[in-house]
Amino acid sequence: MRKGARVWIVALGVVGVLAGCGQQGPGGSIRIGVAGPFTGNAAAFGEMIRKGAELKRDTINAAGGIHGRPVELVFGDDVGDPKEASTVATKFATDRSIVAVVGHFNSSCSLAGKPIYKREGVVELSPGSTNVNVCVGSEWTFRNVYRDDFQGQFLARYVRQKLNLKRVAVFYDNDDYGIGLKNAFVEEAQRQGLEIVTAAAYTRETVDFKPELSSIKALNPDALFVSGLYNEAALITLQARQQGLTMQILGADGVFSPGYVQVAGKAAEGTLITTPFLFDAGGQDARDVLKKFKEKHKEDPDAWAALTYDAVGIIADAIAKVGPDRKAIRDHLASMSSPDKAYPGITGRTYFDANGDCVKPAYVSLIKDGRFTSAPIQMLE
Amino acid sequence: MLAQQILNGLTLGGIYALIAVGYTMVYGIIQLINFAHGEIYMLGAFLALTALTALHLPFPVALLFGVACCALLGVAVDAVAYRPLRRAPRLSALITAIGVSIFLQNLARILWGARTKSFPDEVIPALFKATFVVGDVTVTALQVFILAVVLALMLTLRWIVLRTKMGRAMRACAQDLTCAQLMGVDVNRVVSFTFALGSALGAVAGVLIGVYYNAVYPLMGYRAGIKAFAAAVLGGIGNIPGAIAGAFILGAAEALGAAYVSSLYRDGIAYAIMILFILFKPTGIFGQRRETKV
Amino acid sequence: MRPRPRWLWTGAALFALTFPALVGFDAYVCHVAVLVLLYATLALGLNIVPGFTGLLDLGYVGFYAVGAYTAGLLSLAFGVSFWLALPLAALNGALWGVLRGAPTLRLTGDYFAIVTFGFSELVVMVAKNETWLTRGPMGLPGIPPPSALGASFRGELPFYYLILTVALLLIVVSRRIAASRVGRAWFAIREDEVAAEACGIDVARYKVTAFALSAAVGASAGAFYAHWITFISPGAFQFWESVLILCMIVLGGMGSVPGAVLGAVILVSLSEVLRSLLGQFGLPEDTRFIFFGLVMVLMMRFRPEGLLPVKATVKSER
Repeated sequence: MRKGARVWIVALGVVGVLAGCGQQGPGGSIRIGVAGPFTGNAAAFGEMIRKGAELKRDTINAAGGIHGRPVELVFGDDVGDPKEASTVATKFATDRSIVAVVGHFNSSCSLAGKPIYKREGVVELSPGSTNVNVCVGSEWTFRNVYRDDFQGQFLARYVRQKLNLKRVAVFYDNDDYGIGLKNAFVEEAQRQGLEIVTAAAYTRETVDFKPELSSIKALNPDALFVSGLYNEAALITLQARQQGLTMQILGADGVFSPGYVQVAGKAAEGTLITTPFLFDAGGQDARDVLKKFKEKHKEDPDAWAALTYDAVGIIADAIAKVGPDRKAIRDHLASMSSPDKAYPGITGRTYFDANGDCVKPAYVSLIKDGRFTSAPIQMLE
Repeated sequence: MLAQQILNGLTLGGIYALIAVGYTMVYGIIQLINFAHGEIYMLGAFLALTALTALHLPFPVALLFGVACCALLGVAVDAVAYRPLRRAPRLSALITAIGVSIFLQNLARILWGARTKSFPDEVIPALFKATFVVGDVTVTALQVFILAVVLALMLTLRWIVLRTKMGRAMRACAQDLTCAQLMGVDVNRVVSFTFALGSALGAVAGVLIGVYYNAVYPLMGYRAGIKAFAAAVLGGIGNIPGAIAGAFILGAAEALGAAYVSSLYRDGIAYAIMILFILFKPTGIFGQRRETKV
Repeated sequence: MRPRPRWLWTGAALFALTFPALVGFDAYVCHVAVLVLLYATLALGLNIVPGFTGLLDLGYVGFYAVGAYTAGLLSLAFGVSFWLALPLAALNGALWGVLRGAPTLRLTGDYFAIVTFGFSELVVMVAKNETWLTRGPMGLPGIPPPSALGASFRGELPFYYLILTVALLLIVVSRRIAASRVGRAWFAIREDEVAAEACGIDVARYKVTAFALSAAVGASAGAFYAHWITFISPGAFQFWESVLILCMIVLGGMGSVPGAVLGAVILVSLSEVLRSLLGQFGLPEDTRFIFFGLVMVLMMRFRPEGLLPVKATVKSER
């Protein structure tokens, strides 16, 4: 009997706790979900996303909120893993008090969340997912960052035309992001007459790249393109330099993070990285935000902080115009379809095409003295 | 290029050897796969890193700090988690070991965060950063240092096991625990010493690897641990020289496999070797058959 | 097995049947409830090998993955309906259970555990690397949800009742097997393999049956998972899952059917609660695993037979 009672008590307790978990937040505030990799391998990005979002929230609330109602951010940690992302997505999507979601960051996570957001009808606005398939097939998914096909092609053109290099080795992360980017790069490289001496894959969380780097060294390319995230890119860079590889190292937006410099140290000097945004290249608004961010956090913000700042701004702007209603927000975003209807954020004018994708120029950053500076040669098409 | 790969492989193997002996020694005496051993290796790296960055201790002191802490931790884990289960079914002990491993791993994540940390440039002795070229092989001073340390430690271990009283006690326990007890050996002390020794070596490995790759992260114990265990199996579990040999073979196989076959399956090489040996030659290359008496 | 009062079972069944209504059909709570039942299914499946035969299976997630990918690929590539994909996945799982089990028959507990671990790691590695087959880390999105009577499953409710049926079926079958000849043979093997063999039990055959059955259950759970979440990727099948499921049966009592269910209920709910709690403290959610590690150590130390043990073997555990 005692055992039976114990089971009941546990079961009832569980029901009670879970029922409590689904409750609404305090009334009055407008709740916006922010989903990202706040822990895990991509945590450096998550940190910047969090800080960028919080900065925008504080700016909005300091100015009185949206029509007097303060903005409240609800953070969901997807750890950069699609499975966690779907749990976070379910939580956000079924919580009716959350009117829109800024996120996710990793392409696989946005893809995992997409059908859930679509089913429940809530906007998913990604400030960082660049895989080509992210927005396809759902009228609820948007992004304010460029796509990998564009980025990969851009980089290939840049390498051939602006850097005048002829032979490139590619080392790519074996996931959505890495493969998609690599494919775009390789295709365009072939069109440009840029020779790909080898394209090797690695798995996330690998630490030892020496064997592959030794092979690459023997092929003697002019440059090494790392199509992946900053952690592995930093280790690759460090180990490459240690093995005596001196060629130009290239990266894409996944490498654009202070984490890269932290781990690679001096070896990071001279790396060129494509990025959707550079504070150096931004306008006065951008510089103001840079200053505020630096004062608060004692470090430079990166492109992701800026894009998230804008993403929250886009949502807030939509709410201010059409109210905190999920469908109305989506319709408003869908209507932002041309430059004159664009949102004027610090990362430029954001507007969306029929899929929810966004057209933005790409910048190239050079790491100098441990900072992400604007590369001397840009290619603004 | 082959020579470069072999050098990479040997360095890797040396590290695995330091960890593998820990596994093999403990298993030899109490027949327990100490899952938590990989975590000790990881904690060694983290503790040394903290000593270097937060306490600003010089490198050799930080290394000793990590080693000492881990030795104590190893003894503590045995005393708290394993000793009470000395007479319990093996399944229980194994599950406990897994539990400890998970506990320590997540403890590290809570204390240091899940992000990969690296040693700042300043704290790494300048000595390590030197590189020199021999033919078409680029050798870093650190690689030489690692191999030298491994050699020194292995010789020390051999001396301890073969020439000291404690070493004799260890060998006695490994041969037949009950008998050793009957002969007056304080088994608990021997076991504690074994844990301390194994953990100390593991900690050294952790720090060296941390500097070698410049990456310290909570999951590093999990991955290296399994490979080191595979090495121990390869060499014949319970057999110390076997574990060392197994580790070098595994390190070379991994480096060559990653370079010439597929870098994606590099971890798989260790697992495959381990499974094949367990299935077809569980006593390993050098081990002896242990009969199960009924 | 010790008989429990009938009202307890009817009460529990009623509770389970009406649960969604009790929580106001809250989608998140129902989602967690489905998760609980899914893990209960997995726990019951895992229970068969360590619980009944005394061997530790550290690689259960491998079968979970095999089932999920089999079902997912069949549905995506050949348009196979869930109701056909499920048994096919179970069969594939059973096949791999036998393939993994047959060579390991002679192995003792430790080595068996390590081989199971290695096997599951290899399975996941193949899933991660063979992009042509599994799309690797990109995963398989858009797996169609099951449909019945012309309509496809929407929301959590249909899945809840589906997994509830599966779990209940499994409970009933488990109890009957445990009381049957096969079950007795398994217990004999667990208590003393050599003695069992000496008594004329064909140890090999019974062990292989256990492996196949356990794997089939794991694979079925995987198939369900694939069609429920509609997206699978190698990241969902990490070693942690094997450990978590193991923890559930350790907590509930290895070999105990109600124990497996209780273990699942407690740990999954705890997991969800910890997830939000830890997030509030700014700690990574994965660290909730630290509690599971602690649970395992404490259970083995103080109550190795579990919370709802199989009474018959409590005495001989020490």
